[in-house]
Amino acid sequence: MLFLQLLVNGLQVGAIYALTAAGFSLIFGSTKIFHFAHGATFAIAAYLFHFALVGLGLHWIFAVAVAATSAVVFGVLLDRFMYAPIQRHEGSFFTVFVASFGIGIVVQNLLGSVFGRGFMSVPTPLSNSVEVVPGLYLSPLNGLAIMCAIACFAALHFFLTRTFVGKGLRALSENPELVRTFGLSPRRLSTYAFALGSLLVVPGAIFTAAGTGINPAVGHHVMLISLAATIVGGIGSLRGAACAGLLIGVAENLAMWKLGTQWSEAITFAILFFFIIFKPSGFFGRATVS
Amino acid sequence: MTAYILNLLVLISVYAILSTTLNFIIGYAGIFSLAHAVFFGIGGYTAALVAMNVTPEFFVAVPVAMAAAAITSLLLALPALRVRGEYFVAASLGLQVLAVTLFSEWKSFTGGIGGVIGIPAVELFGYPVYQPWQFLLMSLICLTIIIVIIRTLVHTSFGRSLKAIRDSESAALASGKNITVIKTLSVVLSSALAAVAGALYAFYMSFINVESFMLDTSVLVMAMVIIGGTATILGPLLGAALLMLMPSALTYLTFLPQTEIGSIQQMVYGIAMVLLMIFRPGGIVSSHPGGNK
Repeated sequence: MLFLQLLVNGLQVGAIYALTAAGFSLIFGSTKIFHFAHGATFAIAAYLFHFALVGLGLHWIFAVAVAATSAVVFGVLLDRFMYAPIQRHEGSFFTVFVASFGIGIVVQNLLGSVFGRGFMSVPTPLSNSVEVVPGLYLSPLNGLAIMCAIACFAALHFFLTRTFVGKGLRALSENPELVRTFGLSPRRLSTYAFALGSLLVVPGAIFTAAGTGINPAVGHHVMLISLAATIVGGIGSLRGAACAGLLIGVAENLAMWKLGTQWSEAITFAILFFFIIFKPSGFFGRATVS
Repeated sequence: MTAYILNLLVLISVYAILSTTLNFIIGYAGIFSLAHAVFFGIGGYTAALVAMNVTPEFFVAVPVAMAAAAITSLLLALPALRVRGEYFVAASLGLQVLAVTLFSEWKSFTGGIGGVIGIPAVELFGYPVYQPWQFLLMSLICLTIIIVIIRTLVHTSFGRSLKAIRDSESAALASGKNITVIKTLSVVLSSALAAVAGALYAFYMSFINVESFMLDTSVLVMAMVIIGGTATILGPLLGAALLMLMPSALTYLTFLPQTEIGSIQQMVYGIAMVLLMIFRPGGIVSSHPGGNK
C-alpha cells in the first residue's frame, strides 16, 4: 500500500513538475533564451498567492488571478527590459544566463526579506487526506493537481496547434529567419512565449503553496527540475519535457520507499546523468550538437 | 583591529583562489559551473581528514585534497562535457545539490551537519603555521602560484585551444582539436586548484561544516568572476575583494537592518550581474569593452 501511496503522491508532484518544465521548455525552445529566472517566476507566483489568500484574505479565485497576473507580468517585463536589451547587442548563452541568474538571486532574497525565510503553506481543507482504501490516503488536492495539469496540457496543445500565435511560436523554434521573412516579429512572439511559459508555472506554484509548502529557495529546486526535465525530455520538445517532469516526480516519490526524503533531489540528478550518458538527445530530442 | 583586517585579507585571498580558478573555466573555456563550492568543500574535508588522521603537513594534505577534487570533477566532466553547454550548467547544479546532501549525511567523512571540529594547525616541513600573518603569507603565496600557473597555461597552446573552443566549438573541432579532452582537463585542473582554497580554509578556520559549501558559495564565487571581469587575471581578484569587503562596508550603513545584511549583499550582486550583462558584459575589468564574447 505504501507503494500505491507513493505512486499517487508521485503523480501529483509529477503533474506539477510537468507543467513547470513545459513552461521552461516552451520559452527555451522558441526564443533560445536560457531563462534561469523561471524558478523566480514560480516563487513570485507562489508567494503572492499565499499573500493574497492569507495576508489579504481574498477569495481564492482572486488569489489565483493575482498569482497568474504577477507571473505573466514578471515574465514579460524580464523579456522586454532585460533579455531584449541584451539580445540587441549580442545575447550569447553566457550573458543571458548570467543576467537571468542575477534576477533569480534578487527575487529569492527579496522574497526572503519581505515574507521571511521559513517554510510557509496555505491552510486549506482540500489538503486533508481521507483513507480511501486501508493504508492509502488521498486528498482532494491530489486529484485536483492532476486534473488541472491535464486541462492545461489540453489547452496548451490546442493553442499551439490551432491558433495563429501558437503556430507562430512553433515556427519560431524551428526557424527564426523564416518567421521574419514571413512578416512576423520574433520579438513579439518572444513576448507571447514568455507570457505563456510564465503562466504555466502558476498551477504548480499554487499547488505547491497549498501542499508541501514554499520557501524562498524554491526557485532553485524548480530550476533543477525544469532543467533536468528539459534535457531528459529532449531540448525543444514540450511533450518530452512534460513526460520527463512526470517521470521525475514519480521517481522522486518512489525513491522514498527505500531511501530518506533528503535523497529525492539525488534521484533527479541520477536520472539526468543517466540520460546525459546514454541518451543525450532525450526522449523526443533532435540533434544535440550546438 | 589588526586581527580583523588580517582575517578579512586571509578570506579574500582564499576566495580569490576560488574566483581565479573558476574564471579559468568560465572565462577561458566558456564552461559554466555552478558546482565550484563542491570542489572547495572536497578540498576542505579531505585536508581536514588527512590532517587529523595522518599528518598536518601542508605538502601531504594539499596534494591529497587536490587529487580527491580532481577525481570527483572527472566524474562530472566526463559525461557532461560531451554535450552542449546547457547540459553542463544543469549537471553542475545537480552535483551541487547532491553534494550538499552528501556533505550533511556522510558522517564519517564530513561529520554531518555538525561539521569537522578541531582541525590541527597546518605544518610546513614540520613547522606549525598558526599566526594569522603567517597564514596570510601562505595563502598569498598559494594565490600567486595559482595565478602564475593559470597565466602561463593561458599563453600556451593549451590555452589557445581553450579560447578557440570557447569562441567556436565547430571551428576548433575542424582544426583537429580534441574538444572533449581539452575541456575535461581544464575542469579537472580548475577543480584541483579550487581544492587548495578548501584546504587553506579548513586549516585557517580549524572548523568546517556544510554551510560553507552550499549553492550560495558557488553563486558568490561566480558573481566575483563575472562582476570583476571574465577572461582577465585582475578581474576575479578585484571581484573577490569587492564582494568580500561588501558585508563589512554594509555594516557601516547603520540605516540598513543589520539582520538582513546577507540578503542585501546578495541582492546587490544580483542587480550588479544584471546591469553588467546589459551594459558591460565583460565585467568591470573588461578585456573587450562593449563585449564581443
